[in-house]
Amino acid sequence: MLNVEQISKSYGPVHALREVSIEVRPNEVVGLIGENGAGKSTLMRVLAGTVRPDSGRILIDGTSVSLRDSRHANACGIAMVFQEQSLLLNMSVAENIHLAQEGEFMRLGLLDRRRMNEVARAHLARVGLDVDPRTKAGELTFAARQMVELAKALALEQRTTAPLTIFLDEPTSVLESRDIAILFDRMRSLKSRASFIFVSHRLDEVLEISDRVYVLKDGAVVAERPAAEATVPELHAMMVGRALHSGYYREDRQGVPGAEPVLEARQLTVRGAFESVDLTLRRGEVLGVAGVIGSGREELMRTLFGFLPQTGGTLKVNGQEVVLRSPTQAVAAGIGYIPRERRVEGLVMDLSVAVNMTLANLDVAMTHNMIDHGRERTIADDWIRRLHIRTPSAAQVCRNLSGGNQQKIVLARWLTAKSRILILDHPTRGLDVGAKSEVYDLIRDLSAQGVGIILTSDTLEETIGLCHTILVMRDGMITGRLDAPAEAKPSQVAVLEHMV
Amino acid sequence: MAKTDMVGMAPGAALSRVRPFTPVLLLVLLLLGIGIVEPGFLRAKDLSVVLSDASVLFVMATGMTLVIMLGGIDLSVQAGASFASMVVAELLPSLGYAAFPLTVLIGLAVGICSGFVHVKLRIPSFIATLATGGIMTGLSLLMEEGRSVALLDTGRHEVRWITGSIFGFPNVILIAAILAAGGMFVQRYTRFGRYSAAIGAGEPAAHAAGISVDRYKIMAFGLSGACAAFGGVLLAARLSSGSPDLASQLLLPTIAAVVVGGTAITGGIGNIGLTVVGTLIVSIVRIGMTFVGVDIFAQQIVFGGALILAVFVTIDRSKIAIIK
Repeated sequence: MLNVEQISKSYGPVHALREVSIEVRPNEVVGLIGENGAGKSTLMRVLAGTVRPDSGRILIDGTSVSLRDSRHANACGIAMVFQEQSLLLNMSVAENIHLAQEGEFMRLGLLDRRRMNEVARAHLARVGLDVDPRTKAGELTFAARQMVELAKALALEQRTTAPLTIFLDEPTSVLESRDIAILFDRMRSLKSRASFIFVSHRLDEVLEISDRVYVLKDGAVVAERPAAEATVPELHAMMVGRALHSGYYREDRQGVPGAEPVLEARQLTVRGAFESVDLTLRRGEVLGVAGVIGSGREELMRTLFGFLPQTGGTLKVNGQEVVLRSPTQAVAAGIGYIPRERRVEGLVMDLSVAVNMTLANLDVAMTHNMIDHGRERTIADDWIRRLHIRTPSAAQVCRNLSGGNQQKIVLARWLTAKSRILILDHPTRGLDVGAKSEVYDLIRDLSAQGVGIILTSDTLEETIGLCHTILVMRDGMITGRLDAPAEAKPSQVAVLEHMV
Repeated sequence: MAKTDMVGMAPGAALSRVRPFTPVLLLVLLLLGIGIVEPGFLRAKDLSVVLSDASVLFVMATGMTLVIMLGGIDLSVQAGASFASMVVAELLPSLGYAAFPLTVLIGLAVGICSGFVHVKLRIPSFIATLATGGIMTGLSLLMEEGRSVALLDTGRHEVRWITGSIFGFPNVILIAAILAAGGMFVQRYTRFGRYSAAIGAGEPAAHAAGISVDRYKIMAFGLSGACAAFGGVLLAARLSSGSPDLASQLLLPTIAAVVVGGTAITGGIGNIGLTVVGTLIVSIVRIGMTFVGVDIFAQQIVFGGALILAVFVTIDRSKIAIIK
């Protein structure tokens, strides 16, 4: 009934989607998996009508449609339930369900709230959610809001004659297992009314709920399997798509870390995010933190740089106990941070390369308590040369540079600040292959110079390839600790076991 | 080195290169225009009147520039200046010269309070300063039950360093020039100047670089309060009195001076040099309007319009996802 045929979409040189074809049959749950950047989000936007494909077509019951915007997509029977929920928390459940569709409840120019609430109640009943439609969305639990989103998507049924397809984007990432079971239960009972496209990082869930699974990699569909015949390791291998070939992550340059600890956490806790985390980072060590979204690893990284204050436990830097209440204190303790949102938290995009490099340690560019612009320039030129940063000059505004070069500027900042501990939060996100490999080399250089590195990455493969040691987190706890020496890297399955 | 390896320019880059020079161009055109219509305007005597007038506005706009650079705004400057005019007029008879630094320090303290309200209580700066401005206006009114305070003979003597002139050149212009030089120095050579630009251009990145964003914001509001107070002192000296509404028409021109100069209202881009140009434009427009006979009451209409136009041209909408 819904056929995506040969859809392609490029952003400049990046092929987000290459001739992707997907079929959704009536009363079916289709699983969609792929790494970050594999094209899932772009495909979702194409189906939501917010991104126009460069080529290919979408067929609904055999008729080609060209989706203009999300309203049009809705009219064609395609509904979205987003990962970041789209409910307006200050409005009632009923108002949310009927948002921008109030027209049908207008009587003599006035809104008939009673009828609107009644209709909403019926929609809620169908997803098995027993709440008063007059409740403010913000007062509901996260899981209940997800059900409201689902009810909202199902409400589409009454406005279109087209068969209904509901796209669920990572709906389980923020749910607890009990709520996930409820969601799956509802999806199974709603299959008679609608088909689902289900996107998740958790492969076991995808297998559990889906009838068929599509694997996306680098913008293309690389496999389609009936869920009953697929296994988690098999799907994972297809998703990553490439057998580990040694050398890609410069494993030959992986040294042996020193003995002395530079960063130690004992029983480190941030209430509601993670609990009792013990970790030791040694001189020159690359320590990976693996875990699915919601495992607490993102929060752990942010806590180690002072963004999120700890609520319990102790943290020692070079044997000295520290409490990091802000990034300012983390920087003072010799910690540097490469954020995953490079354009927001990494660089001040409208300032120059040189200014960005000295931002964390302006002292190096000062003489007599004044900024010495000549000296700053010299320092910047030095890093530009040493890190092979491609920029017309140190005075160039960062916005105009490529992602890889921007990332090197962030790194140069922490080198200028002489940070001995670096938190790398998805350091290669959004970089092309060439830039990635340069970053890998830089990580090896830093490690050889004794800098301790804590790293999380978009792919397990990268984490395993780069790190000496891997900590695995699940549900806010450390569930595994694996050594990953260059000559005996653990398999992804071995790491995955602790993740799910 | 990699000079040949030119990186693709962002769209609109050519336009943004020309943009910094538009205010200067506008200023030259204004001067030429007025010179043709009213050649008398460009005589030294008239120009020095324009510049003296512009000086007070510039002093207030200097503080405003520091705050706008950080991405905030200070709506308390006119209240602060009026309040300072009352304070200095009250203090001069008893304290003599010490009244000047004390008044400026009070302005600094009030500014720091505004900064605290904004940063620590997490209240948007326009609301925080609107409120502190209201408080200052109330205090000014309470002081003499709404009346103004004239400077007595002693006071008039002590304000000579403001009202006097050297070789026929008004001191107030020199004072503004020194402040301009100082402000430009601060912006270019100090930690405060650098961090302000970084915070204004990308607060999350500045925060993640370890800059204590809150501290520098509070400093900027403190300096803005001090500048407003100093502007009030100058105004009181020039008009020989302090009054609760002495500077009440100056908020719009002050913001206009900063923004017309080319400092982006979203922060990060701009400097006090631009504000010098912006202040001159605003002052010339203001006096030029009187010259060509625009009703004094209608002048705020022009400033309102000019402000909208200037913000429209300079604003970086990519920084604001939703315009509220």
